[in-house]
Amino acid sequence: MGRELPVEFGRITQDNVEQLRKVNLACFPVQYQETYYKDVVEKHDEGLCKFAYWNGFVVGAACARVEDIPPEQQDKTSGDDTTTSSPQKRIYIMTLGVLAAYRGRQIGTQLIQSIFDHYEANKENAEFKDVVEISLHVQISNDDAIKFYTTRFGFAQGEKVENY
Amino acid sequence: LALYRNRILSEIPNNEKEALDHLNVCQKVVVDRTSLLMARAKYQYQLGQYSDAKETVLLLFQRGMIENYKLHSMYMCAILELEYQTLEEAMKLPGTRTLPTLVPLTDEQKQKILEAYKTEIYPDYGKSSAANRIPMNLVDGDRLRSTLDIFIRKGLVKGVPSLCLELSTFLLVEKDGKYVIATDPVDVKEHVAYKLILELVHGYLSSLESNNKLLPEDEFEEPPSTQLWTWYLLAGLHELAGEYSEGIALLDKCIDHTPTAVDVYELKARLLKSAGDIKTAVEVIDAGRDLDRQDRYINNQTTKYMLEAGMESEALNRISLFTKHEGNPEVNLFDMQCSWYELGLAACYANKKEWGKALKKYSAVVKHFDDFHEDQFDFHSYCVRKVTLRAYTDVLKFEDNLWGEDYYFTAAEGTIRVYLHLHDNPAITKEEEEPDYSKMTAAERKKAKAIARKKRAQAEKQAEKKKSEAKDSENGGQKNPPKKGDKVSPVEQDPDGTELLKKEPLEEAKKYSAILSKHCPTRLGTWVLQYDVSIRRKKPLLALQALLKMRGLDPTSAQYITRLVDFATKAPSFDATGAVKTVVTEETASLLGGKPVSDYVVDLGKQARQDPKTSLPLRAAIAEILVKTKSEEPGTAASIIVDGGIDGRGVDIESCREALTILKAFGKEASPSAEKWIATVNERFPLVKNFS
Repeated sequence: MGRELPVEFGRITQDNVEQLRKVNLACFPVQYQETYYKDVVEKHDEGLCKFAYWNGFVVGAACARVEDIPPEQQDKTSGDDTTTSSPQKRIYIMTLGVLAAYRGRQIGTQLIQSIFDHYEANKENAEFKDVVEISLHVQISNDDAIKFYTTRFGFAQGEKVENY
Repeated sequence: LALYRNRILSEIPNNEKEALDHLNVCQKVVVDRTSLLMARAKYQYQLGQYSDAKETVLLLFQRGMIENYKLHSMYMCAILELEYQTLEEAMKLPGTRTLPTLVPLTDEQKQKILEAYKTEIYPDYGKSSAANRIPMNLVDGDRLRSTLDIFIRKGLVKGVPSLCLELSTFLLVEKDGKYVIATDPVDVKEHVAYKLILELVHGYLSSLESNNKLLPEDEFEEPPSTQLWTWYLLAGLHELAGEYSEGIALLDKCIDHTPTAVDVYELKARLLKSAGDIKTAVEVIDAGRDLDRQDRYINNQTTKYMLEAGMESEALNRISLFTKHEGNPEVNLFDMQCSWYELGLAACYANKKEWGKALKKYSAVVKHFDDFHEDQFDFHSYCVRKVTLRAYTDVLKFEDNLWGEDYYFTAAEGTIRVYLHLHDNPAITKEEEEPDYSKMTAAERKKAKAIARKKRAQAEKQAEKKKSEAKDSENGGQKNPPKKGDKVSPVEQDPDGTELLKKEPLEEAKKYSAILSKHCPTRLGTWVLQYDVSIRRKKPLLALQALLKMRGLDPTSAQYITRLVDFATKAPSFDATGAVKTVVTEETASLLGGKPVSDYVVDLGKQARQDPKTSLPLRAAIAEILVKTKSEEPGTAASIIVDGGIDGRGVDIESCREALTILKAFGKEASPSAEKWIATVNERFPLVKNFS
């Protein structure tokens, strides 16, 4: 484990999206579709989708989006009058990746934390006011990731999703 | 205006005292104090008032000019009280080079300067990068090692892409009493500083690999980027030594480590190009470009590489990403006077033997220079009105030597080469002529005429199509069609350069060669061209002059030697009489050292065989002339190239290819040698493509 590397954040645009592809290719076993990259670029939302820069290079990236929570998953015990209030939303973290050589330097933490901070600063805005949770999916076998989210950020483990 | 007057005063010969006094008189009105102080330092130096000059330089440092390397050169020259000419040359050095990298200094001189820096510079400017960098050229042995160590490690942690380039300025070799930077891998590998740097870097690498620190005694671990930059630096060092495969292997490691690093792709592409695989180089640099499409520099580099690989339409695609154009991007590039692109494109066309188009592009660059020349008239009224007279006279001085500029030379050279090729192969321009009907039977004649008619009709249709396409793209892209009458841009007229092809080749070649000989006399290439043109025009005296100039510039040049032998062999058949004949015979004899041609050539052959480090182009040239003068059998002559091996100077892909062309031209007798050569080159440059 090394010391923390304080990173800077930058937006993902049409002109540098190829670097996102490189990060994803290096970090994940699956290849994401073109529509995924198109969405990220078109959303222009630097608060939710960003690169992490160190020493002038992109060393990691996190992409999240706001999506509706499907009715069957909504939390009906929240006490709100669900028949008249607007549908519940969540921030869904699609990808979080850091290049292998730069892991263990709290870069992933900084990326996730920045998304949390962005939400906190803007939670009254139209974009975020209906957000009730923040979630993501993790491979069952990926113990490191599970530990990362539960111990570092206090995520609760949800139920298993078959055939994701 | 006052400084302008002062400058005129200083240009009068031996008038420095008056100029210096004038400065003191006018200093109240002068706003540009920096220029005033610099002028004062210069005059004091010229008058031999070295300590005063030094004090003025210190004043300039105080004003914030501490990072100005030229001033440091002046400071050092003043301390050592060197003559003015040395100072002038030192002031022309580029980058971080200063006096110690120009001429060898004695230990005593170096000590004096180091003392001065210690007492006068460091107390006030301890953090200045120039002040820390310059004394590194004054030390050697262990002190050099320790300063290099600190310098390199600092650069690796910060992440300086140009670190290798900076270190290459330490590889100085002496030539004619001055220093030059070693570029040939043979010289690089032998150099003391190179070995030292290599040792240091290998040390860092092993230390990083074992415990992630640059030096074992470091307190903290390094961030991952340091590893990346260390590999990158080592790859650059391999490049200097011509070890391309090793460099590429390191860069592949870099790409695995940080695939988003554009610099790595650029260096890898450069190594691939030097190793002879331009196509893969294009792929790599294009991949790097794709990572950051806002980076104009990498886009330009991609365009350049594509032009070299003969991919001109893709190159146009890439460069168009950054042009502001409506319709044809080439028009915009012409308006912006983008010479590098046009020259690259012309070379591409010439390689593909599309002579007309190549001539067209070269002529575009020539036109730019004509425009530069014309611009002087605009400047005159404007500058006088704005009273920026010093800048104006600088421009005028530049314009005086306008046709000595590098781009112009390249354009003129390219044009001359194309025209000379057309002169030697008249069949190229005669393709359109009617075949000789008188020698054919009636049936053949009818067939030939039908073919010619069809060809003409097709050509006309294509021309029509192109014209309408061009008009569409022009009108379609513009909202308001031009109101200035029908001003067709010069690029559109005659896009294939057919008009240029119709010109008399030797006349055109002579025109350009004359301009070059007048304005570019210090380039060897100028005289090579003058020789080639004059010998075809059957002007022995001009050819002889070219040879004499070439010998004055570089008597060991392969181009000189081949042309000398060519001249000597052709001399007896010249249509010369009287004085001309005498001069030709006498001078030729003196150039050959009094020997008959065959002896001269055989002696060169002996010399080349004895010295294994003889440069490859020279060896190839000697082999060629041995066979041409029938002084040796092709099989024997070929051995000069092949047996000399591939470890000498001047070895790169291009010279290897030329040597192969020469070997092949020797015919069947030399084919075993050619085979051996192919194998040797492929072994040395495993990545080379199409070498057979």
